[in-house]
Amino acid sequence: MAILEANQIHKSFGNKFNKQEVLKGIDIRVDKGEFVSIMGASGSGKTTLLNVLSSIDKVSLGSIKIEGKEFTGMKEKELAEFRKHHLGFIFQEYNLLDTLTVKENVLLPLSIKKVSKKDANQRFQKIATELGIYELKDKYPNQISGGQKQRTSAARAFIHDPSIIFADEPTGALDSKSASDLLNKLSELNLKIDSTIIMVTHDPVAASYCSRVVFIKDGQIYTQLNKGEQSRQAFFNDIIKTQGVLGGVQNEH
Amino acid sequence: MNINYLIYRNLKKNIKNYYLYVFALIFSVGLYFAFVTLQYDPATDEAKGSVKGAAALGAASVLLVAIVAIFLLYANTIFIKRRSKEIGLFQLIGLTKGKIFRILSAENLILYFGSMVIGIFAGFAASRLILMILFKVIGVDAEAALSFSTEALIQTVIVFAVIYVLIMIMNYTFIQRQSILSLFRAVSTTENQIKKMSFLEMLFGLLGIGLILLGYYVSTKLFSGDFTSMNELFMAMILILGSVIIGTYLFYKGSVSFIFNAIRKSKGGYLSVNEVLSLSSIMFRMKSNALLLTIITTVSALAIGLLSLSYISYYSAEKSARQSVPNHFTVANSNDLAAYIQALTDENIEFKQTKRDVIQVNADLSQVIGANLEVVSGPGEQQPMVIPVISDESVEGIDVSPEETLFTGSSDAIQQFMSIQATGDIELTSPNQQIKQQLIGLEKDSYVSYYFASGGLPAAIVDHTVFDKLAQDLDPKIQKETNVYYGIDLVDPIAIDQANQIFKDLGISESTGNLSQSELIMNQKSNMGLMMFIVGFLGLTFLITSGCILYFKQMDEGEEEKANYTILRKLGFTQGNLLKGIQMKQLFNFGIPLIVGLFHSYFAVKSGWFFFGTELWLPMVMVMLLYTALYSIFGLLSVLFYKRIIKEAL
Ligand SMILES: Nc1ncnc2c1ncn2[C@@H]1O[C@H](COP(=O)(O)OP(=O)(O)OP(=O)(O)O)[C@@H](O)[C@H]1O
Ligand SMILES: [Mg+2]
Repeated sequence: MAILEANQIHKSFGNKFNKQEVLKGIDIRVDKGEFVSIMGASGSGKTTLLNVLSSIDKVSLGSIKIEGKEFTGMKEKELAEFRKHHLGFIFQEYNLLDTLTVKENVLLPLSIKKVSKKDANQRFQKIATELGIYELKDKYPNQISGGQKQRTSAARAFIHDPSIIFADEPTGALDSKSASDLLNKLSELNLKIDSTIIMVTHDPVAASYCSRVVFIKDGQIYTQLNKGEQSRQAFFNDIIKTQGVLGGVQNEH
Repeated sequence: MNINYLIYRNLKKNIKNYYLYVFALIFSVGLYFAFVTLQYDPATDEAKGSVKGAAALGAASVLLVAIVAIFLLYANTIFIKRRSKEIGLFQLIGLTKGKIFRILSAENLILYFGSMVIGIFAGFAASRLILMILFKVIGVDAEAALSFSTEALIQTVIVFAVIYVLIMIMNYTFIQRQSILSLFRAVSTTENQIKKMSFLEMLFGLLGIGLILLGYYVSTKLFSGDFTSMNELFMAMILILGSVIIGTYLFYKGSVSFIFNAIRKSKGGYLSVNEVLSLSSIMFRMKSNALLLTIITTVSALAIGLLSLSYISYYSAEKSARQSVPNHFTVANSNDLAAYIQALTDENIEFKQTKRDVIQVNADLSQVIGANLEVVSGPGEQQPMVIPVISDESVEGIDVSPEETLFTGSSDAIQQFMSIQATGDIELTSPNQQIKQQLIGLEKDSYVSYYFASGGLPAAIVDHTVFDKLAQDLDPKIQKETNVYYGIDLVDPIAIDQANQIFKDLGISESTGNLSQSELIMNQKSNMGLMMFIVGFLGLTFLITSGCILYFKQMDEGEEEKANYTILRKLGFTQGNLLKGIQMKQLFNFGIPLIVGLFHSYFAVKSGWFFFGTELWLPMVMVMLLYTALYSIFGLLSVLFYKRIIKEAL
């Protein structure tokens, strides 16, 4: 079942006289429970794509449906409403509020949804234990490490059981150990609670954790790779190869 | 890209950002210029002369400079800190510190002196209006015409040039002290803001509230007779000031974050947006701004308090004049009286005469006086008091029995000192007899002028039989020159000015005991009017500068927290959600200092208002409402600023 369906999305920046078309007609379909990553050269429009898919930015043309609900025409208020019920976010910079503790940060999305306090506590305990941040719950963001921050941010994305989680280079600021820790947790959660994750990344290692990789070039989908039954290593090699063809630059991995 | 281009670009960007700074600058210059123009203008000689207000105006202008200078310097620290990143960037691309300083100075020079020129024009334009207001409050009938005063111009330019130099020195030391790295870091001050609440802090918080309450408590006791010597009184005042100010500081340092922390703890980590935006952000910031907030609160309290007191006095001028002189005119000397009556008759001014016999009698009031008398009469000398006594026959509508006495015309100040009870036993003493009387009440209206009532003591009304007994047996040592009170009331009050003129022309007003009610009112109004005008001027300047400072702080915070709004909006909070939280935050941010300031001033005014007039509530509440309204404007402005930030956040 398709949870996200985007048809012919276009996005351009600038005004009439100075227009830059960043997305030039992208079709993308993500099924429930998929873990998809989007790759492409710097400036190819990945972040832009993620932003429009996640309703943070508006498309210039085209339609996007999440769980069958079209949202391209919605008002800012409806969009916000839509985001808080259906979407979760993990950003490249951890995007935690400095003035809130880990627990308060994680519980933020629940506070708008009128979830009871008891329920909220239960959910927090579950997700925080899974991501290994339960002991940090009363610490402030500047008292914990980058990896822990990113896991906090992931916990916040998962806490309200969103239909889709969007992640923009979630491992960008992490060392390879913390990065693989986080990715393992993400794919675990992806399997365990059948959540759908769409992730933008530069890192072929990160991409190899996914079930599918979409490559973007010049605002269009260049190709897609499915992991299928192959091992992560084999999938990784495929990704490297495609990247090489795509960017013209050989990755030294 | 040359330096001039950089300066130009910076300037363009900054004018938009700092419009309030520019506004505040224009305003300060305008206000100051208007003030010195008044000070130098011959048109105000009358106002000055009538109250020897020149010295007051001069002192006020010095204070004005102090407020404005502190404000501009403070605002500059905020702005230079905000630009540290930019300065770091300039350094990074290879500009020397000297060059950066020159860019900043040039930019400031244009902004600053541009605003100054505008401010001087605005100030000149406003000074006529201000003069009109001044004339109105002090009751002078004169044409408000002003000429441009070069003296005022020079003084203004010098004062603000000196402030400019100070600002430049500050910028210079700031730039010199910073390395590229620390410049980049200056903005991210969140690091040290987040610390856990300690037990000590909690203690300080409680101590702060305790100290404030102690100060309030002592202030209510200040003039109620518990402090008997001048020395003790002085010590008590110092205690009040000290404990309230230190208490306020601790309140901001500890109590606010303590209370907020307690609320936050009780939520168990589950905060709503409103709480996220208000509680968590204020908690940390109030602490680091404790000193600033204490200063703002204290000076606001001072401004509100002084304004209230002068307005109380202005407002109750008529009432207290009526208490001092119950009729339009009173003439103690019978020759003067005859002359005055003759003059009034000649001018065809109709009038009514009142005549009352007033005798001075020793009275033992120890049973009805609540307070320790040493305050009033000095330690050790508890001699009986001398009070004026009149017969109930001479007062229309009042009749007391031979055992009863009614006190009239007791002033608020005396009442506060002595706290005379409305009923009780008193004793009237003449050389050969002692008459026991029952006090049956205290009335505010007075029936004789204050010439007879020594030091504001009430006048006693007794039955005519008692009065006759006392009058037969007077103690000559304590009698006034005359024992008759003559009051004159005009039938038609319109003629009051004419009657006043005659009163003055005949030279009657010169000798003691001869008083004109309307003269008294006018005197008090013009005294208090000028006071009020000066205090109002300073208060307004202070209000605007402190409002601006709080606003600048909010601008700073808003920009620092912009990233937070981005996150929150991405998570699905609407602009409306966030704005509600911000409104709550501003309610606290501006409301807490205001409310604390209002409370401080309330207790300050309450402790001593009776020296100034007869009416406490109405004038005080009016001053407070006005202050609150003007002050709220800055809260509203900052909400609007946040609105923009939130809108731009996504
Ligand atoms: N708000 C904007 N206004 C104008 N142009 C923009 C805006 N956002 C992005 N662009 C342009 O769109 C193009 C794609 O940007 P985008 O951020 O999507 O790239 P990206 O693939 O995420 O790159 P990177 O891997 O470096 O993050 C860039 O050329 C950029 O200049
Ligand atoms: Mg990007």
